[in-house]
Amino acid sequence: MSKILEIKNLKAKIGNKEILKGLNLDLEEGKVHAIMGPNGAGKSTLSKAIVGHFDVEVTDGEILYKGKNIVDWEPEERALEGIFLSFQHPVEIPGVNNAYFLRTAVNAKRKHEGKEELNAAEFLRKMRSLANELGLKPELLNRSLNEGFSGGEKKRNEVLQMMMLEPNLVILDEIDSGLDIDALRAVSEGINKMKDGKRSFLVITHYSRILDYIKPDYIHVLKDGKIVKTAGAELVKELEEKGYSEFEEK
Amino acid sequence: MKLEILNAMSEQEIIEALGTRKEKIEIARKLKELKLPHKKSEKYRYYDIESFLHKEITLPKSGFEAKEHKNALIIENAKVIAIPKQEGVEVTFKEFSDVASNHFDSLYYLSHLLNQKAIVIRISKDSNFEIKHIVSSNEFLSYRIVLFVDSNVKAKVYESFEYCGDNLDRLLYGIDAIIARDASLDFIKNQTLNFSVEPIATNYFKLDSNATCNFLTFDFTSKSGLNIFKAELKEHAHFDATHLIYGTNSAKIGTISEIEHTEKSAKSNQDARAILNEKARGIFDALIRVTKEGIYASAHQNSKAILLNSGAYMASKPQLEIYIDDLEASHGSTTGQLDKTQLFYLRSRGINEVEARKMLILAFANSAISKIEDETIFNRVQIDFEKAYYGDTKLDCIKTCHECEENILKG
Ligand SMILES: Nc1ncnc2c1ncn2[C@@H]1O[C@H](COP(=O)(O)OP(=O)(O)O)[C@@H](O)[C@H]1O
Ligand SMILES: [Mg+2]
Repeated sequence: MSKILEIKNLKAKIGNKEILKGLNLDLEEGKVHAIMGPNGAGKSTLSKAIVGHFDVEVTDGEILYKGKNIVDWEPEERALEGIFLSFQHPVEIPGVNNAYFLRTAVNAKRKHEGKEELNAAEFLRKMRSLANELGLKPELLNRSLNEGFSGGEKKRNEVLQMMMLEPNLVILDEIDSGLDIDALRAVSEGINKMKDGKRSFLVITHYSRILDYIKPDYIHVLKDGKIVKTAGAELVKELEEKGYSEFEEK
Repeated sequence: MKLEILNAMSEQEIIEALGTRKEKIEIARKLKELKLPHKKSEKYRYYDIESFLHKEITLPKSGFEAKEHKNALIIENAKVIAIPKQEGVEVTFKEFSDVASNHFDSLYYLSHLLNQKAIVIRISKDSNFEIKHIVSSNEFLSYRIVLFVDSNVKAKVYESFEYCGDNLDRLLYGIDAIIARDASLDFIKNQTLNFSVEPIATNYFKLDSNATCNFLTFDFTSKSGLNIFKAELKEHAHFDATHLIYGTNSAKIGTISEIEHTEKSAKSNQDARAILNEKARGIFDALIRVTKEGIYASAHQNSKAILLNSGAYMASKPQLEIYIDDLEASHGSTTGQLDKTQLFYLRSRGINEVEARKMLILAFANSAISKIEDETIFNRVQIDFEKAYYGDTKLDCIKTCHECEENILKG
């Protein structure tokens, strides 16, 4: 089974505080991995380390993506090579038009892949139809990026970007927070539709509800900056019953 | 002569030295009282006003040799060479002494003394025209424009600049806009002079009751220049000012202003934005005063600056001076770099850093430019901004900017 991501002994700081303390994690191509763990465990820090966020300073270890260490890559290189993070808290950018932004991103990626740019009509058709599937109000496409969007609208907009950009590795950080049941269903359907046997997913959550909709192949428990347990989907039940306190470092 | 000698003179001597009509004695008195600014003058502290005033000048000659023109008042080197051919827009060149009695700026009075006559535009019907300044002379230029907007009339004026010489000295000009009851004036200034010109505009806006004025200034330049203005608001008048500057090189540019609520229920709003690169210095020294009579006022003022370079500097001084309790008012000022989180978000979607910065800077600029309602002017200003912004980053933007790409290919 080939691995899309191998994280080896990753240590990372935010400010002066060590958050990831020698984390090991392998993600398999075409599979859905879930990371669960209590608040403050370092889940978002891990996702930020993978995409190269400026908050996180990697001090030791490796992140191999398709076999290459990406620790020193610029964020845009990681994105162009197919890594996508749906942020826990997407930022608002007043004055940058949502559709214009998305088109710029899509065409940057196509260009990187040696494909022709999508023309305006093709792009609009695709964007509108996906937005419709996700239940994202069409007027939000012509507004400033995330500005004044509700929590749920921001998450739908993240998933829309994911579906348009067609990444190889999709990281979803607390995608279900702020979503009501209908929204959760629409968003999960969108995500599930993107499963194609090759694309890999890392679903990060501290709450198991999302895993009823997006079925994981593997569950990892992240606690205090390390992966402390890896198992199959059956682990969800156990976590629901016992909580995270049972899991200590092996 | 050097203008600074005026400071030591009596009113009569000033009038004689400038060859001005005796009727302007009150104006000379104001000049004498305020004195010409120097480098320690509070409001001009961040502007190199001494080099503006200390150079030799010959007394300027404004003039009027107008041929009709479709849609623009064209002033070339202080001479009116064309006037707009529009019903309800009448342009004359005549003596004008009825100036503001309480302007804070001595250059305002100086320019009135330097000019025997003013270009007087009376707008009696809804209209829309351009005032175009063409400068190509290597002399000190000065002139005054007076705009009367009659009651109930809606006027839209777009002010533009064109430079076609290589050695212009200085330009001291200004507008007195007298806006009658229930009238409205949209005034948009678009200044992108990038050679050796240093334009100082010293304006006065008088808003009668229920009058409205939208005043927008866009200055994108590597050179210096100032927008100085005073606005006076009567009952229920509404004054909205938006300023956007983009400065590069060692430009010193900005706004020095005073907006005064002299009667009840007036509204004012001033939004200043600055993008500063290299060693540019932005200036925003702006006061809103609500007098005792200005009850139920609404007064808001905000300044935001983005510094693209560690050598750039913003001198921001928003001030509210309020003599009543019952009003709605706010002011604020921020200076900083581009938002890192926003920049990261764009990059995390595969947009390269140069392009991502461009998007954020355009977004910042657009929040001011998008206040232009007229689509043609909106496009013009937007293009001018992009030109100014890319002018000094050509090599980095080759992938994103067709104009630069073409220029580079041409060699
Ligand atoms: N920007 C930041 N500055 C300082 N501390 C941070 C920052 N972001 C996260 N932390 C700290 O890092 C730890 C891990 O946070 P995070 O990765 O967000 O946890 P999780 O996503 O698992 O809830 C927490 O103790 C949190 O307080
Ligand atoms: Mg988190």
